Amino acid sequence: MAAQTQRLDQLAKVIRSKNAGPFELTFDIMFDDPAAYEAVKKSGVINAKRIAEAYRVRVDDVLVCRPYDAAVAFKITIRRPVSSGDIEDRDVYGCQQHVPLTSIEVPALRAAAG
Amino acid sequence: MEEIVGLAPSGSMGSGYNVDAFKRGLAANPHFIGQDAGSTDMGPYYHGTGAPFLPLATYRHDLSIMLRAARERRIPLLVGSALTSGCNATLEMAVRMVGEIAQEHGLSFRLATISAEIDKAELKRRLAQGPFESLGPDGPLTPETIDRCGPIAAQMGTEPFVRALDAGAEVVIAGRACDDAIFAAMPIMQGYDKGLALHCGKILECAGLSAIPYDLAEPLLGRVRRDHFEVEPCHPDHRCTTVSVAGHSLYERGDPCLQPGPGGMNDLTDATFTQLDARRVKVSGSRFIPDRIYRVKLEGAEQVGFRSIVIVGIRDPIMIRQIDSILEEARQRAEDRFKAAGGFNLLYRVYGKNAVMGPLEPEVETRSHELGLVIDVVAPTQDLATGVVMFVRGTLQHASYPGIVTTAGNMAYPFSPFGIPVGPAHRFSVYHLMALSDPCECFPMSIEEVRN
Repeated sequence: MAAQTQRLDQLAKVIRSKNAGPFELTFDIMFDDPAAYEAVKKSGVINAKRIAEAYRVRVDDVLVCRPYDAAVAFKITIRRPVSSGDIEDRDVYGCQQHVPLTSIEVPALRAAAG
Repeated sequence: MEEIVGLAPSGSMGSGYNVDAFKRGLAANPHFIGQDAGSTDMGPYYHGTGAPFLPLATYRHDLSIMLRAARERRIPLLVGSALTSGCNATLEMAVRMVGEIAQEHGLSFRLATISAEIDKAELKRRLAQGPFESLGPDGPLTPETIDRCGPIAAQMGTEPFVRALDAGAEVVIAGRACDDAIFAAMPIMQGYDKGLALHCGKILECAGLSAIPYDLAEPLLGRVRRDHFEVEPCHPDHRCTTVSVAGHSLYERGDPCLQPGPGGMNDLTDATFTQLDARRVKVSGSRFIPDRIYRVKLEGAEQVGFRSIVIVGIRDPIMIRQIDSILEEARQRAEDRFKAAGGFNLLYRVYGKNAVMGPLEPEVETRSHELGLVIDVVAPTQDLATGVVMFVRGTLQHASYPGIVTTAGNMAYPFSPFGIPVGPAHRFSVYHLMALSDPCECFPMSIEEVRN
């Protein structure tokens, strides 16, 4: 039987993107339910390879991809393909680049917890 | 209790703040008021031109309230990164504003001005002694890049602020500064732990962004003590929670635990967050790890041309279905027409399709019944940029495509004029680390007695 999955935006409370300086784009995935956070963390679906695919960057350009227990959150940082405000940039603040993360499939909470 | 209490009116000077909540913050008897007034966040234009982000009157409004409050209570006011890029031109604007407000309200105080812009000849001299590590731009910094940039400033750490306070400054207006340093200086000067002071500063610099509800315009209080610090929003109905405060450690930072700054790294790996009551959070365990070499970050942006744009709307469904091929044909015609005139960069920003994410857009099918199009041209001169963008507009306006029914024109213009000369276009080219032998050596300070 295929494992049940859920989209990440059904489990996370906050999924946001923002510049971390003009040359990096950073993502925060935050949870209000510690059980959901633990389940996603245990599943390992949020990893550098998956992020590199979602943002079409090299795995080496995923600078940080880790859980952060104190904030019940995941932290991801990638090198910006184009620096903030350069000619071909599309989002100077980098605050609307989160959408590819929202559809990451993670094991459904009940199945993962059980 | 042994503590240093800092009050942050807002996360960004000029954006306004809740004055009632600010007064509540003052009632907690803070030892200083700190305010961040700059960023690279709004893109390279402000660093490249040395222009402030907002009209001066908006800064004056915010500054006047906090300056008067600080003088009334006889506590220092520290402002960092004045204004936006923190270069000398905007620093002077801020200092002039302080003088005008002081005169208007009859205020007297000792004013310290700390500049952060580095003379280009001096910068090249330092560069000749060894390469500067890049934090983003391709390759090491070169003298040619330095020449092409607007003003180049370094981000100061806490030490120049401490020096100003040591000199008895009651108002400190600084050029480009690390935002946490504005708030960490006074606790560090009084012998409090640097790791805690910087971590508290990092939370204070965005004011109410680390409280619930998230609001940059809500003042925040931070109390640095010997082995921990506490944060509390000034608004009685707002609250800090362990998650909102820990979550803020993530904000705009690449790594949640290791946060590099001038002279070292603040390590939050072992930081613990404790809920004290409904509105206050206690933090301990942040540790500052000094570097062997004290380095500061340089920032600068170079001009890459001039930008002109045309903004239009497209409603016809037959055209929308073929938008990509229609746009590409117009691009080809522009390249043929202007190939002798010098290079230009044409970017179609197609809102309703993929303007925000470009090639990363996961939605492949356009479902919008209308599209917003920004035709964006960057060229070596403003005239050429406007010439190209108007040519592309004209070509698209009367482009023919299979199945066309609307032969009187293809695009709706929201206003006249059509071609908008945006002005110079910039790129961040300097984002490098420079070693210092003294943390204050490229941040000269001047002291002035303001008397009214």
